[in-house]
Amino acid sequence: MKPVKIAMMGMTHGHTRKYYQTLLENRKLDWVASCAADARAKEVYELYKTGVPCYLDPEQMFAEHPDIEAVVLASANDRHFSEMQFCAERGVHILSMKIPSFDMDEYDRMIDLVDRAGIVCQIELEMHYNPVVKRLRQEIAAGKLGKLLSIQATNITLSPVWAFPWQGSPEASYGKRIPLAPGDRRFRGGALCDHPHIFDLIRHLTGSEYDTVFAQVAPNLRKELEVEDMLMAAGKLKDGTAFLFDPSWSRLEERLKVPAPGWEIFPKRMEVNLTITGEKGMIQCDCFGPNVYHNGAPNDRYTVQYTYFDEWIGLIDEFVDCIRNGKTPTINLKWHRGTIRCMNACYESVAAGTPVRV
Amino acid sequence: MFDKMNQALAFLRDKYGCPAGEIVPGAELSELELPGGKRVPLLPWRVERRFVELRKIVESGTLEEVSTFRFAAFDHGGDPVKSAARELDLAAFLAASPVARVFAVRSGNAACNILARLANGMSASVECGSMLPAGAAALDRHEIIARRGVASDRAVDTQIPQCSIYEWTTDGVATFTDVDTELFGLPNDRIWIVRAAYAALMDPELAPVWTDAARNMARCADAIARSAADNTPVTL
Repeated sequence: MKPVKIAMMGMTHGHTRKYYQTLLENRKLDWVASCAADARAKEVYELYKTGVPCYLDPEQMFAEHPDIEAVVLASANDRHFSEMQFCAERGVHILSMKIPSFDMDEYDRMIDLVDRAGIVCQIELEMHYNPVVKRLRQEIAAGKLGKLLSIQATNITLSPVWAFPWQGSPEASYGKRIPLAPGDRRFRGGALCDHPHIFDLIRHLTGSEYDTVFAQVAPNLRKELEVEDMLMAAGKLKDGTAFLFDPSWSRLEERLKVPAPGWEIFPKRMEVNLTITGEKGMIQCDCFGPNVYHNGAPNDRYTVQYTYFDEWIGLIDEFVDCIRNGKTPTINLKWHRGTIRCMNACYESVAAGTPVRV
Repeated sequence: MFDKMNQALAFLRDKYGCPAGEIVPGAELSELELPGGKRVPLLPWRVERRFVELRKIVESGTLEEVSTFRFAAFDHGGDPVKSAARELDLAAFLAASPVARVFAVRSGNAACNILARLANGMSASVECGSMLPAGAAALDRHEIIARRGVASDRAVDTQIPQCSIYEWTTDGVATFTDVDTELFGLPNDRIWIVRAAYAALMDPELAPVWTDAARNMARCADAIARSAADNTPVTL
């Protein structure tokens, strides 16, 4: 199979660096160029010494590399529409970060752009390529728990805002400046916007869609932020499954400009755990554990050092397969719309103080 | 068993473009047979993720001035002397220094306890046993103690390995710990053999290193047996 000529754009997303190894090693890809959103992003990119040239102007990148077939849009959420438009106009396939847009009109225009251009647009929800999730889906699909009754899930992390400031900006993260609720000085765009995975996963595990959701925010752990960092959501799916989600930034962090060892203050910087109850039993699942542990440099704090972090390998494999074999990605724009819609409904519930029908 | 492992190896070879080779049974360990017939002993624990991460923790200076390794491994059956020799190879791998001396005490084939000195002066203790009942999952624990920091593959306040998934049904409790999406479906012990073969194919410099290490393991096993028989430390 001819390797896909691929590029990256933006380089400001927290997941940017996670692509480097797989883009360099996977023989089905030829990583030809990168284009940073600004000089700071280029400076950080160059710390990783990938050997792949980095531009500041996408037009120049495409002029120098007219054979680019696909792009990873590793950028802030408010850049996604214009970047998708740029790629669609050139017939270039797109791997989008996890939130294409929270503006549902803009989202529908993205779907239209992609459909008319006839390109692949895959959304980066890397949990699908996690081996623990793979096993979990296999067990549930085999009927081990019978009909699912309830799912509790956490997608809790430290906050990346100090390294990736756009994630603390209501406009860059949510796309608009919308107060969380009357009288609340905070705006949409925080932890919820960073954590779509559990909202997506439950749809895959149950095969059902959201019915209603109730969400509430808690006092922020980081008082400086103008977006929410602590919130929970509870509700029901159309098939009756009850859910309880925690998508918070509940793990404190050192305020590093570039992610590095010692970033975390709480030992485990990121967790996705699920409790699933069915008619025939229940499952407890830690998607990122067990690991190894230390209390050494730089801060002498007890720290989880992850032993598995290869989700991007499977994700890129699927992207290449879709491009070369004309397939539709599992997480495509149309599928993902239901996830984004529920996340928006969480914000609507916070504003209204009542459950919201999704 | 070898067919499935070689299918998995072929998948990785095709995907990442590495030279030909086949996993074959050896006298003590699985081996990688290269075109032309040369064989490389496979040391799968040296590519197992938790040990790779522990080695990174040592090499990167996260731990400073390592003093002692405290290792344990228990299984149903098997030869605890060979298990102990394997654990000592792991210590040598993490310390980047060979084993220089061992002192061993045994209770037949039920248990084997060792104090060892590495050539760089670090100390190691290893306890191995074979008396877990049939059907029990193997247990192990690896702890590295340094002047700055302690590292381990077991979480603080736990005594047994944790799993990623616990499933309670009317059939009882089932547990799962999947570690590799690309090779999903193979048992973990075989995944590490495939990964070891792949590593040896991608990095030809591993062949002499692993061949020496396998030889040292055999010498360690012999030293363990002699030390226990004579109740005396044995220098390698």
